[in-house]
Amino acid sequence: MRGYLRRRLLHVVPVAFGVVTVVFFLLHLLPGDPVEIMLGESAVPALKEELRRELHLDRPVHVQYAEFLAGLPRGDLGVSFRSREPVAREIARRFPATLLLASASIAVAILVALPLGVLAATRKGKAADYLSGAAAMLSLSIPNFLLGPLLVLVFSVQLGLLPVSGYGTARHLVLPAATLGTGMAALMMRMIRATLLEELRKEYVTAATARGLSHRAAVALHALRNALVPVATVLGLSFGAVLAGSVIAETIFSWPGIGRLLIQAIDARDYPLVQGCVLVIALCTVLVNLATDLLCARLDPRIRYE
Amino acid sequence: MARILWLAVAAALLPAAAMPGCAQKLPIDEGRLVIALPGTPVSLDPRLATDAYGEQLLQMTHASLVRLDAAGNPVPELAAAWETPDPMTYVFTLRPGATFHDGRPLTSADARDTFSWILDPANRSPHRATYRHIVKIETPDARTVVFRLSEPFAPFLSTMVRGIVPSGSRAGGYTPPAGAGPYRIDDVSPDGEATLSAFDRCVGGPPGIRAVTVKFIPDSNVRFLELKMGSVNFTLNGVDPDMLPAVERTERLAVEEAPGGNVSYLGFNLRDRALSDPRVRRAIALAIDRDAIVRTIWKGRADVVDSILPAGSWAHEPDLPTLLFDPAQARRLLDEAGFRDGDGAGPLPRLRLTYKTSQNEVRRRVATVIQEQLRQVGILVEIQSLEWGTFYSDVKKGNFQLYGLTWVGIFDPDIYYHAFHSASMPPDGANRGGYANARVDRLTEEARRETSREKRRAMYREVQRILARDLPVFPLWAGRNLLVRDRRLQGFALTPDESYAPVRGMRIAR
Repeated sequence: MRGYLRRRLLHVVPVAFGVVTVVFFLLHLLPGDPVEIMLGESAVPALKEELRRELHLDRPVHVQYAEFLAGLPRGDLGVSFRSREPVAREIARRFPATLLLASASIAVAILVALPLGVLAATRKGKAADYLSGAAAMLSLSIPNFLLGPLLVLVFSVQLGLLPVSGYGTARHLVLPAATLGTGMAALMMRMIRATLLEELRKEYVTAATARGLSHRAAVALHALRNALVPVATVLGLSFGAVLAGSVIAETIFSWPGIGRLLIQAIDARDYPLVQGCVLVIALCTVLVNLATDLLCARLDPRIRYE
Repeated sequence: MARILWLAVAAALLPAAAMPGCAQKLPIDEGRLVIALPGTPVSLDPRLATDAYGEQLLQMTHASLVRLDAAGNPVPELAAAWETPDPMTYVFTLRPGATFHDGRPLTSADARDTFSWILDPANRSPHRATYRHIVKIETPDARTVVFRLSEPFAPFLSTMVRGIVPSGSRAGGYTPPAGAGPYRIDDVSPDGEATLSAFDRCVGGPPGIRAVTVKFIPDSNVRFLELKMGSVNFTLNGVDPDMLPAVERTERLAVEEAPGGNVSYLGFNLRDRALSDPRVRRAIALAIDRDAIVRTIWKGRADVVDSILPAGSWAHEPDLPTLLFDPAQARRLLDEAGFRDGDGAGPLPRLRLTYKTSQNEVRRRVATVIQEQLRQVGILVEIQSLEWGTFYSDVKKGNFQLYGLTWVGIFDPDIYYHAFHSASMPPDGANRGGYANARVDRLTEEARRETSREKRRAMYREVQRILARDLPVFPLWAGRNLLVRDRRLQGFALTPDESYAPVRGMRIAR
């Protein structure tokens, strides 16, 4: 297990390298000059050249790339062009907010998907199954940019229960987490239903009930545990999507996270900041997937990592 | 299983049920002004800030030597008076008793060091080019600061609107240097909000409202909903024209509007074979029904203009000929220019052009209407709606035929040198269309050296008449400034440049 963990952690290095390489060169291919954006049009050419030199933008792209890579092992992601703050500090300021939002939306997804998925599977072909299926389809069909304002209209404007936007208290977290978590909940719910139905058809469930275990206990103690293995894998894969999707929720709810920072950085062609944000999102995705694999091993003892 | 489901639902709803409901007090009931800004300030250091949101917040927190009135005239702020013994020397006398938020007295040394810092290449200030004419700053005493210029530069006074910070202030970051404005910044959370409190010892007396929160809310729907809820009670140009009817139906809110200073225009590339012909540019202008666009897209909340200098500016030429919508005349001009309509009502166009614009929703709708209006006179327009960085880069490089853009907050007529002098073609300026006219060159050069306001006005008025004839760009409209506020908030005077300085004069009516 320890050897497996070491190998998987080592895999992070080529993934991170691949991500920063692709992002670095794509960014430099994009039209738009960070110096022009920073100084505006009224700046004289000499001043622009001076700034370009100071930011090392006058050097060949491969030299800039080598300089960027050289800083990475030290955790040096460079300095943001627009704020002049170290990129690592900029990200550290915003990342907790995004992590909180992503975790809360996954919690919402689990909280909704688990009972509804189990209900749909155990009541297959009945009203509860059809209703939950329809609800899942509806949730998947509504894009986040529409769902967010709709939730605000209902829970903030009509009912006055929650704040429209902002950050800082648990009340501020409810609507953005629900916006991000709803689609994922629908996906997970359908998946739990499908995998649980498959497990329920297996002989060990029949054997358990034949030994006198109630159907409810057979589902809760045996079938559900096995059904959750593929669900956990999908959950891990969804984490990256949640981080990427947080851009929309963060914009709608004025949530001060890394998604909004990334958009602002792209607009300003703030190369170091864009690279830093993408790198952190990629690393998070890889690490969460590793954690998911380990969780799967806990759920299913047949899974062995050597 | 059903019990498990209900337990899960109850667990999900419990926190919401336990939360206090709509009986909460609104911020305005507690004497707090809550402003919604449509974006996040990039910098809160006046020596570095260039973005509109940063500048707007700083107008409440930092005082400058002078500020500009509604017509663009410099009026005293920290400086009680100034004189120009010769066209290359400006002497400012500071008001007595000016103090920074941290209690330090504001002296001429602080004014000198603010500008010296900007001019120091090591500090990479984006404002360095603005002050490049300064060769020396002297401080003969604590209340006098003297700027010596390398050459006469008439717009100099209007550049003295930069906030003064204490000598030795550390640059940048999210801990802004102290200012001497009516509000001090207590706390800033990036992408979140800034909280300000009244500074009683500021020049001009204490502000009327004691506590201010500035929220950075990028989504226009959310800004509207926050206003409706009362959690925001003030926004300037923060509500889309489409939503104004809903705002007007909200009893608690009031809407005010006043002429604005942001002028939208249609840019032509004069290097293009077809567009180099002034008859083609005039035909395009005559084929665009600006009144209809203002009426439908801007819901009447914009004014058709004939000059890129806003009507409120002291140098504006009021008697320019207005190009009224006249598609028949447009067709005649295109015929004259050799772009005849070979197949009458058939599908073949006289001319094909591309129109570049940003991805802003309103700009895209404007582009679509212009496309349809030009189609009526036989010009087939392809719209390219580009991400901002790409769009701006293309405009700068001259990689366009037509483009739509807005000059934001231009009140000093020196813009004509920057945008139309033949030496101002990118990268040296904003003459993106490649316009060249010897008379305009001479007038804009002389006007920036001339210190007599009357002579400058005459020169700029002639420039505006020439440009109205040559049409290197077609001025479209100036969006009106729209203030949505709680009815109890009073005393804010709207200015064409969207200034937040008048916030200090506000009060909350009982």
